[in-house]
Amino acid sequence: MSTLRKEEAVKQIKVDENSPLFDRTGLLHKEFPSDFRQIRYFTLLIVQTAPPDIKEINLLEQQISEIIKNAVKHGNRCDMEKKVRVWYSFSPEHAHIIVEDEGEGFKDLEKWNEFNRKRQTLLEGDDFTALADYVSFRGAAADDNDGGNALFAALEYWNGGFVFNQKRNAVAMLKHFPRRHLGVAKESEN
Amino acid sequence: MELKIRKSGENYIIDVNGEMDLYNSYKLKELVMKMLEKKVERFIINLENVDYIDSSGIGALIYICSTIKKMNLRLIITNIHGSVKKVIELTKLMGYFPITQTIEEALQKMEA
Repeated sequence: MSTLRKEEAVKQIKVDENSPLFDRTGLLHKEFPSDFRQIRYFTLLIVQTAPPDIKEINLLEQQISEIIKNAVKHGNRCDMEKKVRVWYSFSPEHAHIIVEDEGEGFKDLEKWNEFNRKRQTLLEGDDFTALADYVSFRGAAADDNDGGNALFAALEYWNGGFVFNQKRNAVAMLKHFPRRHLGVAKESEN
Repeated sequence: MELKIRKSGENYIIDVNGEMDLYNSYKLKELVMKMLEKKVERFIINLENVDYIDSSGIGALIYICSTIKKMNLRLIITNIHGSVKKVIELTKLMGYFPITQTIEEALQKMEA
């Protein structure tokens, strides 16, 4: 594999203000106070609009909950005066979400990408001893209750893209669900 | 989330019941740390009754796993299934965690 192709193969968090994923046309909208205690409740209010036959709906709920948690905790620092705004649409084939907070933006984004590149290299080499230092990303404001692994899973889960705006206080993401044929999902489309 | 401890030989099995989320995953971490203080050396964490885990839950498992590895003690996580398995797969940590399919298999592995 050439260096260029290998670079492309490593998934990264991108910054692109003009990404079509930030198009809010036709999306539903809700806004919430930055109440840490209610993150999962807010998430349920959003996910309840998804069609019930959507694939692995509790995994979708978990992934959305992580992004809202980041906005509430790391973006708005749980300041109840600050809002988290969410735009969303769902169908059996897709989930499209935009989450925006009033914080200073994800300043550690480049550090995170660099950390993830090293992590990927260790994973490819099955080097689980050295991987021990790369299982959790600790940002400057992280505490003991932060898993430090949510965005690794997010990049894998949101297969249609995961992108921040220029200020890095809003993130847009898209998930394509596999089409169902006679009620059976084709694994190759996962 | 409810945690119960039972003993099988020298092995301490922690049965986790409920959701391992941002509000309660620290409880498992605290329990294991207390057990380490009491010189427990062999841990089996049973996730049979866990249907939801988030990054805090995964973080708790990472913390427990790395602490026990550093102390040269034994840990096996067992009965990972459904969306819990999916989240661990997305995080690409299936190879990092010591995992078995069943408690029986975990007990056999502990004796090996």
